[in-house]
Amino acid sequence: MELLTLFFIVLIAAGLGLLIQWLPMRHQPMPPYPQRAPFLGGGLPETHAWSRYHVRYYPMTLLLIAFEMEMMFMYPWAVVFVEQGMKAVMEMGMFLAILSVGIVYAWREGVFKWQ
Amino acid sequence: MAVSWLSRLAAQASVPVFPVRGLHGEEAFYQLALTPGIELVDSPRHASILLVAGGVPPDQHDALRRVHDQLPAPFATLWYCSEPLAELASATRLDDPGALPGALMTIHRELMSGKRGSSPRLLPDEPPNPWEGLGDDGHGGEGMMGGVPYGRPMAMNMTDDLRDGLTLDSLTVILGPFLPMLPPGLSAKVTLQGDLIQSWTTRGAPYPIALESLFFQALQGPVPIAALERARARYHLKRLHFALRLAGLDRLALEALRLAFDSHLSLKGVAILRRRLMRSGFFRLTATGQGRLDEETARRAGGVAARAAGHEEDWRSEDEGYRQLGFLLLTQRQGDTAARWRQTLSEVEQSLQLAAQAEHEAVHTQRSDGVETPRGTWHRQWPEEASDLLDDLLPGLEWDEAMSTLASLDLAPLSPWSLEETGGAPITQDIGEESRA
Repeated sequence: MELLTLFFIVLIAAGLGLLIQWLPMRHQPMPPYPQRAPFLGGGLPETHAWSRYHVRYYPMTLLLIAFEMEMMFMYPWAVVFVEQGMKAVMEMGMFLAILSVGIVYAWREGVFKWQ
Repeated sequence: MAVSWLSRLAAQASVPVFPVRGLHGEEAFYQLALTPGIELVDSPRHASILLVAGGVPPDQHDALRRVHDQLPAPFATLWYCSEPLAELASATRLDDPGALPGALMTIHRELMSGKRGSSPRLLPDEPPNPWEGLGDDGHGGEGMMGGVPYGRPMAMNMTDDLRDGLTLDSLTVILGPFLPMLPPGLSAKVTLQGDLIQSWTTRGAPYPIALESLFFQALQGPVPIAALERARARYHLKRLHFALRLAGLDRLALEALRLAFDSHLSLKGVAILRRRLMRSGFFRLTATGQGRLDEETARRAGGVAARAAGHEEDWRSEDEGYRQLGFLLLTQRQGDTAARWRQTLSEVEQSLQLAAQAEHEAVHTQRSDGVETPRGTWHRQWPEEASDLLDDLLPGLEWDEAMSTLASLDLAPLSPWSLEETGGAPITQDIGEESRA
């Protein structure tokens, strides 16, 4: 029953959204080809823009994930830390040591150098 | 009903104008930038009116047609001191700079209320290359590699990246001559890999810039140094306006422009501008040490660029009038983008200082066989056009660095006509004061 209600809500929301987009567009033809061309100040592209290029911030994002994982495991650890005592400290120490190897490696590879 | 209500609202909004800067058309836009109610936009997609100011050479009419057709309907065109394209013979033409803002607002209002029809499309509504129905699935492609999606070949020209050698596709485009971030008239074939410029080939030189008539008079006889130096300061402030706009510092850009059109342009105003520039981080933005000119190139670029690289060449130090005022030649050593702006700002301050002093003592220039124009020394020959030095300078730079380097260089040739002769606007402090109020 609840699922059915949810389904109708989604249907109405999507329908309304599409209707609002369709209403002003219903008499509008597609813009002509010259208008759809990329704006280059009067120039033309020679090749299609579907080209592969390097996302330069990619190593940075990987590094962020490394740090984030660390934090993610530290929250549940902090809850049981008092209960478990020394054992928890050792375990977290091992986990951090393994993770920091990755960070030291990334450092060596020059990830911290912003290009 | 809802639509008419919306169009009434749209008619009251500020007028989005896409500027096409033609030959000697620059001055009109300085005025418009200071006019409230008119917004100069950077893409034709955001504009309702295409304003072509100044002549466009016939070989660039095709490029102009392409820009014209990129405005979304309904749109209109206005031609200021320019001959409309043959197909648009009935378009509005205007030669009076004072009537420009009013005409733009009227056109916009008429366009939004439906009284004026949209400008006709000039190019046929066809894909740039035929693609429909072609290929294995009718999508224009031909298998995995070397396809032509939507009629344009995929980038297959793999070249080693200049930054770290990672070989990926590069994108080749022809930019200009009406791209707002390039000097007017400059067009180039650019190969990009991501945001890195792989190669830059200048195809068309920027349009000549008109100087104020004082610089021409200085070649005929003595002219008051005060007026000449103020003209120089105005020229540099206008260039600074362009660079600040490019850097996204719109308010500061307008402030620089207001100073340039201020008839009581004083050292105090420039000092305030310098402080704001420091605070805004403009110098830090350009302080990556990029765009460094070597000795030979700096000499070719001339003027501020040469002095920013340490060349001590300035005709003013040859002139007895300037010596009398205790003229000191200013130079920088680094020769990069930041150094050029530091040099420009120092020279503006120096010019105003000299102007104040010369006014007091009524000093005139002594030698008329040469003059130091803002673009470089004009002695026996004009400062030469040097836009081809970009071909060696820009590759290897990222897009933002390349654009700020380009803005800091003044490479356009000088026009044989003065600003006053080319229909350039007189200094209109009225507009500046109006917008300040």
